[in-house]
Amino acid sequence: MSAPMIEFDRVSKIYQSGGGPVNALHDVSLSIAAGEFIALIGPSGCGKSTLMRLVGDLEQPSAGGLRVRGKTAHQARLDRDYGIVFQSPVLYEWRSIRKNVELPLEIMGQPGPQRHARASELLRLVGLSDFGDAYPHQLSGGMQQRAAIARALSFEPAILLMDEPFGALDEITRERMQLELLSIWDGGPQRTTVIFVTHSIPEAVFLADRVVVMSPRPGRVERLVTVDLPRPRSFETREDPRFFALVTEVREGLREH
Amino acid sequence: MVAIPQSTFKIQHAFIPPLIAFILAVGSWEVLVRGLGIPLYLLPAPSQVVATFLERPAYLLGIGVATFSNALVGSLIGCSLGCLVAAVCVRWPLVADGLVPLAVAASAVPIIALSPLLGIWLGSISPASKVAVVVVMTFFPTLVNVYRGLISPRADTLMLMHSYAASQRDIFLKLRTPAALPFLFNALRICATLSMIGAVVAEFFGGPQNALGVYIKTEAGILHTSEAWSAILVACLFGLLFYLAIVLVERRALRWK
Repeated sequence: MSAPMIEFDRVSKIYQSGGGPVNALHDVSLSIAAGEFIALIGPSGCGKSTLMRLVGDLEQPSAGGLRVRGKTAHQARLDRDYGIVFQSPVLYEWRSIRKNVELPLEIMGQPGPQRHARASELLRLVGLSDFGDAYPHQLSGGMQQRAAIARALSFEPAILLMDEPFGALDEITRERMQLELLSIWDGGPQRTTVIFVTHSIPEAVFLADRVVVMSPRPGRVERLVTVDLPRPRSFETREDPRFFALVTEVREGLREH
Repeated sequence: MVAIPQSTFKIQHAFIPPLIAFILAVGSWEVLVRGLGIPLYLLPAPSQVVATFLERPAYLLGIGVATFSNALVGSLIGCSLGCLVAAVCVRWPLVADGLVPLAVAASAVPIIALSPLLGIWLGSISPASKVAVVVVMTFFPTLVNVYRGLISPRADTLMLMHSYAASQRDIFLKLRTPAALPFLFNALRICATLSMIGAVVAEFFGGPQNALGVYIKTEAGILHTSEAWSAILVACLFGLLFYLAIVLVERRALRWK
C-alpha cells in the first residue's frame, strides 16, 4: 500500500480556556489513504472540526504527530495542498461569483486568461454557468455553497476539507448537493481525498468510504465504519438495506460512550 | 394603462416626499414671516434671501468657492491621514489599542473649539488655519470608521485567506480594503458635512474678507440679516453638492451592494 495521504499519530489538542484546559482531542490515530472519502461524525464538542482544521494547519496539535502528504501540515498549507469549504459559503460579497471562484488562483499568481478559463469550467461543473456575473447576495444558499465548492476545487488541491458544508441547507437541497458533490468527486481523472465533517448520519454513510465516529470530552475516535456500498451512489442507494444497516451501525457507535 | 418602469417609479418615490416637505417648510416660513410682519433684521422671508442672493450671485458663489476649497483640501488631507493611520493600526495592533479609544473620544468632542487656537498657531487670516480645523475635524471620524472597516472581516473569511497561504499584502488588498470601503464612504459622508461646518465656523474667528464665514459674521454684526442668510444659502449649497458627489461615487464603487 502506498504512503497515506494524511496520518494522525496519537494526536491531542488541548485548549486553554477561562475554566481551565479543555481536552478537545485525545490520542487520535487515523490513517487516510489517497483518494479516500472520509466522513467525521459526532456530537457537538467531539472535536471533529478541530481534527479537520489540524489538517489545514488552521490549528496546531498540542501533542502527537500529523503528516499531510508526508509533510508537516504547515508545509502542506504553504504548498496549497488543500481546499476548504465552510458551513457558511464565506464568499466575498464585493466579488462576482466568477471572481470569487478565481480568488485562490489570483492569490497563487495565475495569469488572467487561464483563471478565466478555469473559472468557466468550474462554474459549468457546479451548474452556475449563468451566474458568473451575479453577486453572492443574489444567489440562494445552495447556489452560494456550490460556488464555494467550485472555489475550493479551482486550484485542483489534493485534499478537500469540508466543515458541515450542507448543514445550513434544507433537506431537499441537501440531498441533491450530496449527489452533485459525489459526481464531481467521481468525475475527475484523479479522486480528491475528502474529509467531510457532518452532524448527519445518513449524509456520512451516503458520501463516505469510511465514517469516523467520534465521542466527546475528550474527543476520541470511537469507531471506524467502512462503507461498502457500491459507487457511483445514487438516489436508490438510500433505499438499499445495506445503507440502513450501516446507518444503524454508525448510530450505535454514537450511542456507545 | 401605461406601465411605469420600475426604476423611474422608485426614483420618484424617493424624491417626491422630501420635495413636498421642503416646499411646505419654505412656504410656511414665507407665509409666517409676512403674515406676522416679522421685521427684516430678525428673519427675512425666503424670497427676500433669494432676492439678496440674486443681487450679487457671482460674488457670493466666489466666496463660497474660497471657503469650500478649504473644506475640500482639509477633508482630503484629514481623510487620507485617517486612512493611513487606520492601516497602521491594523498592522500594529498595539498602536490601535492606544490610539483608537482616543480617536473615538476625539470624534465625540467639539473639535471646532480648537479653531481660535489654530488661528494663533497658523495665522488667523491665512487659509492654513481653516484647513487645519477641517483636517482635525475629519481625521478622527475617518480613522475610527476605516479602522472598524479594516478589522470587520469575520474569522472564517480570514481563515480562507490563511488556507491559500495568502500574503499579508493579499489579505490587506483583497480582503480588508474592499471590506472597509462601505465604512470609508460612511466616513466620507460624515466628513463632507463636518468639513463645511469646520471651514465656515473657523472663519468666524477671523479670515480673509472674501470668505463665507467672515461675510456671515460681518453682515450679521450690522443686522444685514438677509445678506447673512444668502451666504448661509451658499454654504448649504456647497455642503449639499459635496455630499451628493460622495453619494454618487459611493453608488458606483459599491455597485455590488
